[in-house]
Amino acid sequence: MAVLDPHHLQATTGAWRQLRGDRWALMGAALVAGFVLLAALAPLLTALSHTDPYTYDIEALDTAGVPTGMFGGVSGAHWLGVEPQTGRDLFAILAYGARTSLLVGLGATTVSVAVGTVVGIVAGYTGGFADVLLSRFTDLMLAFPSLIFMIALGAIVPSSFPKPLFIVLVIGAFGWPSVARVVRGLTLTLRTRDFVLAARAIGAPTSRILRAEIWPNLASSVTVLATMAVPGAITAEAALSFLGIGVTPPTPSWGRTIANAVSWIQVDPWYLLAPGAALFLLTLGFNMLGDGLRDAYDPRVSGSRG
Amino acid sequence: MRLRLGSALAALALTTTLAACGGANSTSGDEEGGQKGGTLTILTSSTSITLDPANSWNLPVTTLGLLDRRLTNWKVGKSGEAEVVPDLATDTGTPSEDGKTWTYTLKDGIEFSDGTPITAKDVKYAIERTYAPALSEGIGYHRSLLAGSEGYQGPFDGKELDSIETPDDKTIVFHLNAPYGDWPWIVSTTSTAPVPAGKAPADTFGQKPVTSGPYAVESYTAGGDLVLVRNEHWDPKTDETRTAGPDKIVVRQGQDPAVEAQKLIADAPADQKTFGADFVPPAQLAQIQAKPDAKKRLVTSGPGALEYLALNTQSPKLKDVKVRQALNYAIDRKAYIVAAGGPVSADPASTLITPGIAGREDYELYDAGESGDVAKAKSLLASAGVKDLALTLITSNDATDVAKSEAIQQAYAKVGVKVTIKPLEDDAKTTADTGDDAKAYDLSLGSWQPDYPSAAGNIQPLFDSSQIGGGGYNISRYTSAAADGLIKKALAETDKEAAGKLWAQADRTILGDAPVVPLIYTKNSFLHGSKVADFYIGSFPAYPVYPAVTLEP
Amino acid sequence: MIRFLVLRTAGIIGVLLAVTAATYVIFYVFPADPARMACGKPCTPESLAQAREFLGVDQPLWVQYLEFLKGLVAGRTFGEGGGAIACAAPCLGYSVQHHQSVTTLIAQTFPVTVSIAAGAAVLWLLTGVAAGTVSALRRGRLPDRAVMTMAMVGVSMPSYLVGLLAILFFGFTLDVVPVGSYVPLTENPVDWAFHLITPWCVLALLNAAIYARLTRSQLLETLGEDFVRTARAKGLRERTVVVRHALRTALVPVVTVFGLDLGALLGGAVITERVFSMYGLGALLIDAVGHTDLPVITGVTILAAAFVVVANLVVDLAYRALDPRV
Repeated sequence: MAVLDPHHLQATTGAWRQLRGDRWALMGAALVAGFVLLAALAPLLTALSHTDPYTYDIEALDTAGVPTGMFGGVSGAHWLGVEPQTGRDLFAILAYGARTSLLVGLGATTVSVAVGTVVGIVAGYTGGFADVLLSRFTDLMLAFPSLIFMIALGAIVPSSFPKPLFIVLVIGAFGWPSVARVVRGLTLTLRTRDFVLAARAIGAPTSRILRAEIWPNLASSVTVLATMAVPGAITAEAALSFLGIGVTPPTPSWGRTIANAVSWIQVDPWYLLAPGAALFLLTLGFNMLGDGLRDAYDPRVSGSRG
Repeated sequence: MRLRLGSALAALALTTTLAACGGANSTSGDEEGGQKGGTLTILTSSTSITLDPANSWNLPVTTLGLLDRRLTNWKVGKSGEAEVVPDLATDTGTPSEDGKTWTYTLKDGIEFSDGTPITAKDVKYAIERTYAPALSEGIGYHRSLLAGSEGYQGPFDGKELDSIETPDDKTIVFHLNAPYGDWPWIVSTTSTAPVPAGKAPADTFGQKPVTSGPYAVESYTAGGDLVLVRNEHWDPKTDETRTAGPDKIVVRQGQDPAVEAQKLIADAPADQKTFGADFVPPAQLAQIQAKPDAKKRLVTSGPGALEYLALNTQSPKLKDVKVRQALNYAIDRKAYIVAAGGPVSADPASTLITPGIAGREDYELYDAGESGDVAKAKSLLASAGVKDLALTLITSNDATDVAKSEAIQQAYAKVGVKVTIKPLEDDAKTTADTGDDAKAYDLSLGSWQPDYPSAAGNIQPLFDSSQIGGGGYNISRYTSAAADGLIKKALAETDKEAAGKLWAQADRTILGDAPVVPLIYTKNSFLHGSKVADFYIGSFPAYPVYPAVTLEP
Repeated sequence: MIRFLVLRTAGIIGVLLAVTAATYVIFYVFPADPARMACGKPCTPESLAQAREFLGVDQPLWVQYLEFLKGLVAGRTFGEGGGAIACAAPCLGYSVQHHQSVTTLIAQTFPVTVSIAAGAAVLWLLTGVAAGTVSALRRGRLPDRAVMTMAMVGVSMPSYLVGLLAILFFGFTLDVVPVGSYVPLTENPVDWAFHLITPWCVLALLNAAIYARLTRSQLLETLGEDFVRTARAKGLRERTVVVRHALRTALVPVVTVFGLDLGALLGGAVITERVFSMYGLGALLIDAVGHTDLPVITGVTILAAAFVVVANLVVDLAYRALDPRV
């Protein structure tokens, strides 16, 4: 993990200016915005074609379950064709699937960044026994084979518990330790800075120091960390769905569609194309945006991609 | 820079392929002609093979059928019904007047793979072993049928089961606690295959078993390869059911069924002496339709296992028979069949006893048409006074089963019944299905293939009230005195014809109470390479007959 | 130093105990009954009770856990009398699904995982560091842009999709690599490597992207530091400055991440093993979860956790040895 240098708030304005000049970051932001729009407008868009991600359309299939017609059954009603074996509309699945991916990606990141930041600040600022305890706990969490535990927890959780919330919590729960590590490291260096020492010397209460001195200097790094954590959470959800333990069907999920589509690739390659490309582009968008943000806040390593 | 690395790797890959192909040509030899010899590869998605017969669930026609002989065996021809025929014994058994005692005589010239002769004591010992806690995982219908077996814990501490008598090395007598006409089928199950008496410890025998069939185990790696070589002590003259064509058989585990099917469709030279033990997935079935070469190598069974939707009769929401009948009328079998892989994979089902089994009568109690009778279902629900019915459906967590469940979910949505699908790992589902918690589910997607071809194996395990919870497979949790009575009467009936009539009557009686929605009879499709011959599926079971497979040079 | 090692070893044991305890608790409440799987067909309430007793799952949770710890140190037996199953120390338990001791199963599957991990790790470390270095030294120019673009694409691709497409393309369309089998190194080293090329490349492709980015940013950072400027000022050749001074320092965090990644990978590459049909620790584990094979789950989890904590320790030691600034 690149070491993120703490800054004062003034740095932020400069960072914004640089970010605006970073074509890659802007492209990333545009990709992300595009998918956010797609997700937000999903009901509206599918209303135009009178489709939804659930209704079967067996008429669009031949007896072997393969979509009839060109490009995987593309038609006026089915803009991206239909799913083999069910005839469900792929565009609707894609649009509603974007909701799942974004919800899980942003939700899990919020959880992991919030927990990670709190743990990191507490460990780094208080030091001593609390630090040892929290750091060891962080190591312990990193040592857990998380995928296995996600599978196990998925089987234990009662079916009345909303599955998307569960996925958000479980990916968040295994994502915070790496955030905590970085935040702790940053807090450790901040603690010995003059302005913090000065605040302490004049007897400012700890809560004020954390709020007014430490946090503003961490905020930019945490923003970068969060942006860079989103694609990881999105791919994690897709991987869980790929392994068959993601959101419950029929809630659309790109990961599940991709997992099913791969075995159809020789018969109906169009089935894989849209969800595969969507997952890749959304991940890419967040990665480019995150990179741009990091470069903007940490100018020493920036400017490579013109 | 990555590009250069890529091409370097590709070049390396290419040269090693050439090397590997050269090697393969020289080792897999053309020395044998005709139908003997060669190395057969079997691909399977399974990741463990239980080599100790006591713990095995293998059908007599699959892997352990190559390794272990039994008193009787199934003779499965390319057509016609499966027959029970003598294997190690000279006949299929002689019953006493009352049907409670069965006597067998062993053939001459039968030996284990270590060269020792197979005696009646070995058969007795093998069956006694299945009572030991470490070895009681196999198919064990015999366990409760043998007299005086309550509390028996196996032969390892010197205790014998007195209801199995061995007056001499060739004779074996079974004493049952009730008359049982299907006993000749029972002693064909893999768990009753003989092992050397006193020389088959519970913990190590399965690692390197001594076998009685045409093959012996050379090596086994968990999740990896099982390698079988010829058992020199097996005499083909004593064995009418196994041809033992290949010299060597490699069972390659842990395969992805889609990749496995792709491999067999491609039929590259290295894969031509290979067949897949998994069902060909729907996507590859569709793919094969356009490939005449692969289509020739696809073997599809007749209607086999029954797939059904179990309606938990103990769930408060499903207590009313009208609701259960409504669910029978509302089912969309067309959508379900498409999800199951199309008409090539499934025939619609309307009865409980599966085709190919004596006694089956075809009838349709709830005519739902192709895609469900929505009006009829709605009116039944209305007359039951049910509104906003919300049900939980448990299903196995694999793509096909989830797709099938979604088809059910869609069909029931049309009559205003909301279904929540809960996919479970296989064992979690088995635990829920067969456990004591009647509230674990409302609906469960079930599939049943009898362990031996008799209507008893269709009806009794699924609908007898003694089979609810506690490990039993009555997952509808269905209790009916009338059905129980019919089952009891049919089990005791030794006349085949009369028994068949009783089973057919039980079938109708049970379905009248609608504890299940019969969905389809599955048709299993398998693929084999172009140099595999004698690969066929009989009318029962819906699996290829491994011991009959041979290779072309 | 000795105090450090003793403390860390104690810490490692503590972490492992916590991991096993957590595993036990989680799978104890898992809604599948391991005895049900060992019960045979037909399964009667009596045989179910017998299977529970044989497996020891009729005992309270804490007794089961103590039995497990005892088996680890002194070995244990399952069942009683002549039909019992002996499991020598270190006994991680007996797998109902495989009918083998967990130790044997791990011994059989671990070589597969090591083979995948080692080859892929070497590939991605070499390509990643090389690409990152080139990129940093040619900062802002074409090679840098090319490498960083590829790296960005690389980190954004879902690994399973790349793996599956690689199988389809190289395994079937081009038919140049074998699919779905593994040849032990001891049997034939050339075949071993040949069968592993695709998983190595797929795993390496994704990780090399991360390593290229990391190497680049670290190298750029160190190249701007005082000691590098000093070295340059001393008139050392640029090559010496870059390789001896800057790269050595820049690689410290790379080695750190590498150690942790490798440690995690040795515990089983779940998705890679599943996609490529290779039965290593990861596949064993996923399989065990599906079969409620608690002993296998705990055994592999402990091993995986052990690799991660030991990797942590090694990394810390390497950090002390490598970084000239510490």
